[in-house]
Amino acid sequence: MGNPLQLLLISIVIYLVGAILPPLVSRSERQVIRLSAIASMVGGIFGLLASAPILMGADMMTFAVDGPFSFAHFIVRLDGLAAFMVMVISLLVVVTSLYSLSYAEEYLGKGARYMGLFMNLFIASMVALVVMDNAFYFLVFFEMMSLASYFLVITEQDDEAVSAGLLYFLIAHAGSVLIMIAFFILYKESGSMDFDSFRQANLSAPEASAVFLLAFFGFGAKAGMIPLHGWLPRAHPAAPSHASALMSGVMVKIGIFGIIKVGIDILGATSAWWGLVVLAFGAVSAVLGVMYALAEHDIKKLLAYHTVENIGIILMGVGVGMIGIATQHPVLAVVGILGGLYHLLNHAVFKGLLFLGAGSVMYRVHTKDMELMGGLAKLMPYTAITFLIGTMAISALPPLNGFVSEWFTYQALFTMSHEGSFIMRIAGPVAIVMLAITGALAALCFVKVYGISFAGAARSEKAANATEVPLPMILAMVLLALLCIALGVGAPLVSPVIANISAQLTGQAAMPVASGSLVFPGSSPQTVLSTPLIALLLIGFLTLPLLIYSIFKSQRLRHRHGGNPWACGYGYDGQMAVSAGGFTQPLRTMFAPLYRLRKTLDPSPVMSRAMQSTIRGATRAEPWWEEKVVLPIARAVLWSGKRIQWLQHGDFRLYCLYVVIALTVLMLVTVM
Amino acid sequence: MFLFALIQAVALLALSPLMSGISRVIKARMQSRRGPGVLQEYRDIFKLLRRQNIAPEASGIISRIMPYVLLSSMLVVAMALPIVTLGSPFGVGGDLITVIYLFALYRFFFALAGLDSGSIFAGIGASREVTLGVLVEPILVLSLIVIALIAGSTNLGSISTSLATDPLQSPTATLLAMGACAFAVFIEMGKIPFDVAEAEQELQEGPLTEYSGPSLALVKLGLALKQVVIASLFVGVLLPFGNSEVLTIGSLSLAIVLFLIKLLVVFVIASLFENSLARGRFLLTSRTTWVGFGVAALAFVFYLTGL
Repeated sequence: MGNPLQLLLISIVIYLVGAILPPLVSRSERQVIRLSAIASMVGGIFGLLASAPILMGADMMTFAVDGPFSFAHFIVRLDGLAAFMVMVISLLVVVTSLYSLSYAEEYLGKGARYMGLFMNLFIASMVALVVMDNAFYFLVFFEMMSLASYFLVITEQDDEAVSAGLLYFLIAHAGSVLIMIAFFILYKESGSMDFDSFRQANLSAPEASAVFLLAFFGFGAKAGMIPLHGWLPRAHPAAPSHASALMSGVMVKIGIFGIIKVGIDILGATSAWWGLVVLAFGAVSAVLGVMYALAEHDIKKLLAYHTVENIGIILMGVGVGMIGIATQHPVLAVVGILGGLYHLLNHAVFKGLLFLGAGSVMYRVHTKDMELMGGLAKLMPYTAITFLIGTMAISALPPLNGFVSEWFTYQALFTMSHEGSFIMRIAGPVAIVMLAITGALAALCFVKVYGISFAGAARSEKAANATEVPLPMILAMVLLALLCIALGVGAPLVSPVIANISAQLTGQAAMPVASGSLVFPGSSPQTVLSTPLIALLLIGFLTLPLLIYSIFKSQRLRHRHGGNPWACGYGYDGQMAVSAGGFTQPLRTMFAPLYRLRKTLDPSPVMSRAMQSTIRGATRAEPWWEEKVVLPIARAVLWSGKRIQWLQHGDFRLYCLYVVIALTVLMLVTVM
Repeated sequence: MFLFALIQAVALLALSPLMSGISRVIKARMQSRRGPGVLQEYRDIFKLLRRQNIAPEASGIISRIMPYVLLSSMLVVAMALPIVTLGSPFGVGGDLITVIYLFALYRFFFALAGLDSGSIFAGIGASREVTLGVLVEPILVLSLIVIALIAGSTNLGSISTSLATDPLQSPTATLLAMGACAFAVFIEMGKIPFDVAEAEQELQEGPLTEYSGPSLALVKLGLALKQVVIASLFVGVLLPFGNSEVLTIGSLSLAIVLFLIKLLVVFVIASLFENSLARGRFLLTSRTTWVGFGVAALAFVFYLTGL
């Protein structure tokens, strides 16, 4: 067992080997897929091993070399937050690569050969990025991550994928530019590219705010918060499902990580209004994200919109935490960040699960349209039951994991509403209500997703003939589903670990958040929650209806299963069953104004217009040089060449005359 | 305390068909019918338990487990309610947020079962059920949060204790919040103008369309229990007068009698409202619920000003 840094290095090296070697050593595409998937799985396990000691309370570790560039030191810093991110990334990497063992066969002959390459590069750059403590290398890896994921988005190479990729590329880089400017301001003030010197830099208040806002919007674009979310619902569906799981489960979290890194770690969250800005953007993203998800029939697009929603929820936690740091309220700071980070982990797990589930369905039914699924629960039981657990977790139903993290966020918001300054007391309940609406809408949306695609009768030929997916895919989904349960029921064990990271990050003393089977928000247990007990009771209480059910059992005829549902005496037809659109129609009517907002808020049309005019400009500008400079010169040379052709007659005496004339002219010139 | 909570939950379950029976009697009387007796709901349930269970071809596992989830989620809430004691008898589940999300668990499976059968009416009913949830939840959360803010804790037991010992901290805000909460509770009880009276859950009983026999009996029990639980949440947390602080026979029995009276009053008032109103058009429901939300928001404003 090496120390965490060595393990981390091993993990990154394995990813790189897994990226480069398989396509070189093997001709068979199938083998290339397997090899690179196994490499990323092993790399992920090493990543988990590397992060575990730090998460368990070991001190942070750093490693520094000067590197080839004098202006940028290569500094690695594995602190609590970085270890947490490494853990989240590695966890999902292990599961998705297990899944891709079978799933990637969908892409045989369609670019599967290089999928592993970009996957591994993508993962390696994310892991490297979160432990980097130098702005230069941070940006290098950030770009690498964007580039690798861009190639994953355009895997299918069709029009939709390419245009989605382009939009993603544009927004990602618009974000990078803002981040670079933020880092340059910090560089100007501190004189070094190291984050450590950034931390010590003495910024004036307006300067710090400018840096924060630049970083917030820059990283916000990567996180996909509204209004910078336009790329997300287009890019995630286009990528292969295991890649979408990673993009949605992990990559957007790099955006959150960046906001925390710059806002809290580097700038120290000095102004309370920064937190309020984060909270406000979070709340709006949460509500609008889930609203837009409701209107979707494309299962992956819908899930992508839910990422926008969950990013919003995470940002709400982070925002409260930042307010807590700025106003020196330790409970607020620790519990807020705890809620945010906990939800970050949870979202990675359940969204990963849901994307994998959607992938499994597509693997069999070959469509993303929910209206063509239906009745899959009987044909794909493992996929269905794991997917159901995922939908319950994302709808924040107790006692699963999504509920616990939202509970902490609620408690942080409540503490803020109760003990904060006037503006915080207004903002808190508003945010609480928005979180509650988000929860109710998410439940509605996932009733639709599960009900339309898995329950009821098959809605298409292909759905009727679906079969369960291969074992590696099932295993991957089962693992994540178990994690959903474990992170929920095991909240008393998980939350102290995250609370320690949160305390370390916010510079507060460690704070008890759990004892025995209970969790509570911060030092004063004003209220408590016990997910293990609730889980036990929910299961235990199932016996009571079972008892009632078994009364008169002997007198009753056997359960009969079959026939059509009742249709007022008319012949039943599968088409009669409620559709995905019909299911959400009342709500879409009631909230019509919010849907109109989508068009006005979405920057992607503006982006693509800008792109088109740039392309048009470029097509005009590109030949200009040739037409206006190169060609005229060439024509002039040709023309003059023809004009002076008469000089050349082939007569030797005439050439001598030229020489004499030339000499005379030259002499005259020098004399004069 | 745990055992007490357990008994409380089972007692509420046993009581719930009686309360539905009382609603039915009031309804019949107001419609100038003779109507069934108060115990009709019990008879129905026992009758259904003897019948055969029939489910359509398309229905799957969700349809089978839904009745169990309904009852078990509501029983957990029933354990946590401070209805005869001042504190929550099952404190670790008695947090406001937890309770609201347990209601969400109930609704989630209830609606899902509607889609599971493939029936037309069940599907639409499921859609309406969750839509109504979206409209009611903000009212319920905001009004209860205002009261929780006044009490300084989101624990139901702490809220009821605070209201019982010091009810005049922010009287206007408390009253308005109670009004909004009562409105939300009324909707959650599944009454007109938000639901059809003749088909208890609207549209041919909505998600229940395809249920029969013992499953239907369990679902009916679950729906009745939810009505009782939500009404008890209101009287237990917001009208805690008479709740006993200590577990003595005398104070307990007084508290139980008081609770039963309060519950009865809530059911009678709800039934009176239900039967004097007409069914509203579903797509316009949001306009009515905005009023409730407005009242809750007003309560919040009053809380901020400290009135």
